[in-house]
Amino acid sequence: MSDESAASTDADGALAKAAGIWAPRGNEARVMAGAAILLAIFPFVFARMPVTSDFLQGYQSLATLILIWGIFALGFDLLLGYTGLLSFGHAAFWGGAAYAAGVFSQYVSGSPVLMVLAGTTFAVLLAWFLGYLSLRRGGIYFAILTLAFAQMMFYMSSSPLASITGGENGFTGVETADLFGTFALESELPLFPLEMLLGTWLYAFVAVITLLCIALGYRILNSPYGMVFRAIRENEQRAEFVGLNVWRYRLMSFIISGFFAGVAGSLFVIHGTYVPLASLYWTTSGEVVIMTVLGGTGSLFGPIVGAGLYLYVENIVSGGHPVDFIAPFWHLILGLVFVVTIWVFPRGIWGFVRDIRDRFTGGDR
Amino acid sequence: MSFHIEAITVLLNGLQQGAIYILLAVGLSIILGTLKFVNFAHGALYLIGTYAGLLLALEVNLTSGLLQEWGYGQIGLGLGYIPALLLVPLVVFVVGLAMERWVVEPFKDRPDTDQILVTFGLAIVVQEVFRIFFGSSSLPFSQPSWAQGAPQVPFLTQIPISSWRYYVILITAVLVTIVYLLVEYTDFGLIVRAGTRDPEMVELLGIRLSRPYIVVFGIGAALAGVAGVVGGPLNPVNPTIGNDILVPSFLTVVIGGVGSIAGATLGGVLFGLTYAILVATFSSWAQVGLYAIAAVVLLVRPQGLLGEEGVAP
Repeated sequence: MSDESAASTDADGALAKAAGIWAPRGNEARVMAGAAILLAIFPFVFARMPVTSDFLQGYQSLATLILIWGIFALGFDLLLGYTGLLSFGHAAFWGGAAYAAGVFSQYVSGSPVLMVLAGTTFAVLLAWFLGYLSLRRGGIYFAILTLAFAQMMFYMSSSPLASITGGENGFTGVETADLFGTFALESELPLFPLEMLLGTWLYAFVAVITLLCIALGYRILNSPYGMVFRAIRENEQRAEFVGLNVWRYRLMSFIISGFFAGVAGSLFVIHGTYVPLASLYWTTSGEVVIMTVLGGTGSLFGPIVGAGLYLYVENIVSGGHPVDFIAPFWHLILGLVFVVTIWVFPRGIWGFVRDIRDRFTGGDR
Repeated sequence: MSFHIEAITVLLNGLQQGAIYILLAVGLSIILGTLKFVNFAHGALYLIGTYAGLLLALEVNLTSGLLQEWGYGQIGLGLGYIPALLLVPLVVFVVGLAMERWVVEPFKDRPDTDQILVTFGLAIVVQEVFRIFFGSSSLPFSQPSWAQGAPQVPFLTQIPISSWRYYVILITAVLVTIVYLLVEYTDFGLIVRAGTRDPEMVELLGIRLSRPYIVVFGIGAALAGVAGVVGGPLNPVNPTIGNDILVPSFLTVVIGGVGSIAGATLGGVLFGLTYAILVATFSSWAQVGLYAIAAVVLLVRPQGLLGEEGVAP
């Protein structure tokens, strides 16, 4: 890896001068191209390609949902896998953004882009506030405090604010408009390969945002700023001694992770045109924890894989595929797999795959 | 109903609600204080306690779940409430011992986050096992016939509260006192407290800490079991009750101060009373009020009401 990057430094240097901050760094161009290709063929392979789709029993709307939760898990991993903070309150940002985007669509504008902006803004402000309060105590207190504040949001939306949020019934008044005022989200894309590969405008919209989120995550993690997050995870005291303000970096990491949760939550309401009250309950935070840990903490793509696996089991295996009798056991299976993962492979599927690759290649660093 | 009767009703309801929180919080708190272990599966122990109590005390007709499909629709020993109250703590105590041996021990040297994650996963597994076998619909767990009406004591007959709720308060008071005396005034308690301060020194003195620790975990689990069996008849019984009770119990521990039995008691009373008063006045804010109180306490006194500065992690 080091040889390659040294050889490409000159080319990157020229490019960087031309493109400024937008220029790709290190492996970024390759990673992004790979991610773009995977995102482009995923719904086709999952839902439409002759052999694989029969085998997987996937469908278009689930492919979209997997990307949405993937963004959520990716952001969550920035906090858990890189900064080393376990939050049990991310449902507040996911559900909060979903409610904010939904209410925004009802009263202001149903433009999907503006809904995402509104939901994300709300989530970021909320993350700022809750992070400020929760980060006063570290370790287990942080987990419990985030859990408590998220539950407070749940109960707020369940009764005192029921006139806005719809209480127990969830928020039903979502009015999504067409994308950029012209393209209906559920309609198919116009051009030949796009229509076959991506399917709907909704998927295309979500996939583009997913790609941007992956790019953003990659940039953050490979920047000096992201290096500080890792330094804090490895040794908080040392980071403090070299003069870093640990508390502020932690808060920022919490806010960034809330940002991703907000993007995902807003997309979730666009996708489902409905916000269930359960999206704020603490088990939703638990779901994203499971996805992230299953997929592999401390990696960019692991959590997305974890989200895909979780949703696959929740939606396809629970329907009795591949074997019928397994259907009622889907949640138990996820629970058991989760426990085994923590016990034996704390670095998740992604870490496991990486270990196997390193065994064959002798490790590439 | 005159005002003072109504006020006393609200207070007693609050104390009873607080008693359930106290039973769970004392267990969580001593486990967290001595073993430094975060048990997100405490709600699952409560769940086990409730179902064990239900099946020991009554005969139940299941309406869904695997057992019903296999033809065991009517299940339960029907021993009555008193045997259930005595047996359930034993059952959950043993579950606690097993859990300490096979879950807590291997995770003692792992990071806090791993402990939270593994117990969270176990809680899901337990909940799902109960859902699969007993179905997800709520099961009836009625209060015993001898404890349904108001107690036949002068004055208390005017208050519309079943005697079961008085028993809940009474049982909690007795058990918490016993645990307090055990920790503060016995040799066992002395070893546990010393182990909390400086485990290395205690072991250098030739005292094996693993045995007192496993017992502490068992006691904490048994208290959760008691909470399950006394709290079961007050609410519908279904596999998610453990999830719903976990968060308030954790908050009770945190606002009371980790490791402090008196703190957990104070926190539980505060929570129960606040909840009952809010339900009687601004009922839609009742749940939010609990969390608001917790937030205020933690902002003013981060170590908890009776917690010691610097001892907690």
